[in-house]
Amino acid sequence: MAAELLPEFFALLGTDLFLMLSLLTCLLDDRFPKALPYIYQIAALAGFGHLLVSRNFFTVFGDYMRFWYCFFYLLVSLTNIVAVNIYFAAVKNEWTLAKVWSGAVTFPTILVSIFFVSNYSYFQGIPFPLFLQVALVVAAIIMGTSVAIFLSPEALRKALKEDKEVRK
Amino acid sequence: MNLKGLPFKKSAKFLTLLLTSILIASVSAAVYYSLGMTSTISTATTDVWFVKGVDNATAGVSLSPDNTTALLTDLKAYPNASFTYVDPIRVRNNHTSNSYSVRLSPVSLSGNDTEFVFVKFMLRNGTSDDNATLATLWYNCSGSDWTVPSATSWVSMPADTEWAITVQTKAVDSAASASVDIEIAVDVQ
Repeated sequence: MAAELLPEFFALLGTDLFLMLSLLTCLLDDRFPKALPYIYQIAALAGFGHLLVSRNFFTVFGDYMRFWYCFFYLLVSLTNIVAVNIYFAAVKNEWTLAKVWSGAVTFPTILVSIFFVSNYSYFQGIPFPLFLQVALVVAAIIMGTSVAIFLSPEALRKALKEDKEVRK
Repeated sequence: MNLKGLPFKKSAKFLTLLLTSILIASVSAAVYYSLGMTSTISTATTDVWFVKGVDNATAGVSLSPDNTTALLTDLKAYPNASFTYVDPIRVRNNHTSNSYSVRLSPVSLSGNDTEFVFVKFMLRNGTSDDNATLATLWYNCSGSDWTVPSATSWVSMPADTEWAITVQTKAVDSAASASVDIEIAVDVQ
């Protein structure tokens, strides 16, 4: 039998996302304020605090309350990822970097988060509607294809060239 | 990104952040794992308990405040005659929909082992003498020792039902004054 996810899983996921943001902003520190990686580390520590609070008040807080404060924390981390994406595109005008960030960070993290939320809601007896599940699968396929094309654009160019030759 | 080309200050900063990240991620995962191991145990009320039967005064029945233990202090065994207390005490399944399995099982026996012939505890499918016996715990005395029976087989007790435990006793011919204490359990699952 598959283990059921605890609501605190979203806090754990949010913590890891903040840690990832911290490392990435450190690597790209010439484009960000110097303090940003440390701020994200503190945000990740707050997520760890979330888990500790949950553990100590496990029986006091109901499932409902635990889910919402953990989910809110995950939403904050996702918002930060999207905000960095917008920062690249709108403030820094670095469209290439914004596209890379979108494909390599924003889209996968949102997809993974939606997957776990849908999994959690399924175990709670509130499964996602069918069209949302289909949309999730379609989005994953598109993402996989896009990443493959992004990593080897030559293959796409070659395929398009062969297609043109066949038409001629 | 070429990490080799990074200045020392930036590398040190990145390394520090990487180490703290690993630390935070590990302890967070450990806390989450310990959450998964937490068990919540809460108290529950019983659905099956004892109720006094119509012969409770004759048998000297007294119940504990939560009706989960009963003491029968006035049971008599007459010389060379079987004596039956048809309905001294009952087992009640108070649940509105769940049935439970019950059985009689011996717990302890102490006292005289020469003046008695037998003591029987019978679980009836109802509360009157006409109802069938579903399980019997039969203590036999050979005149020098008691034979303690093994636990009865499980019997399914429907919801909202009361069953009597009939007690039957017999002492030897010209029995002298003696007493025996028998403790039995009604197991519920």
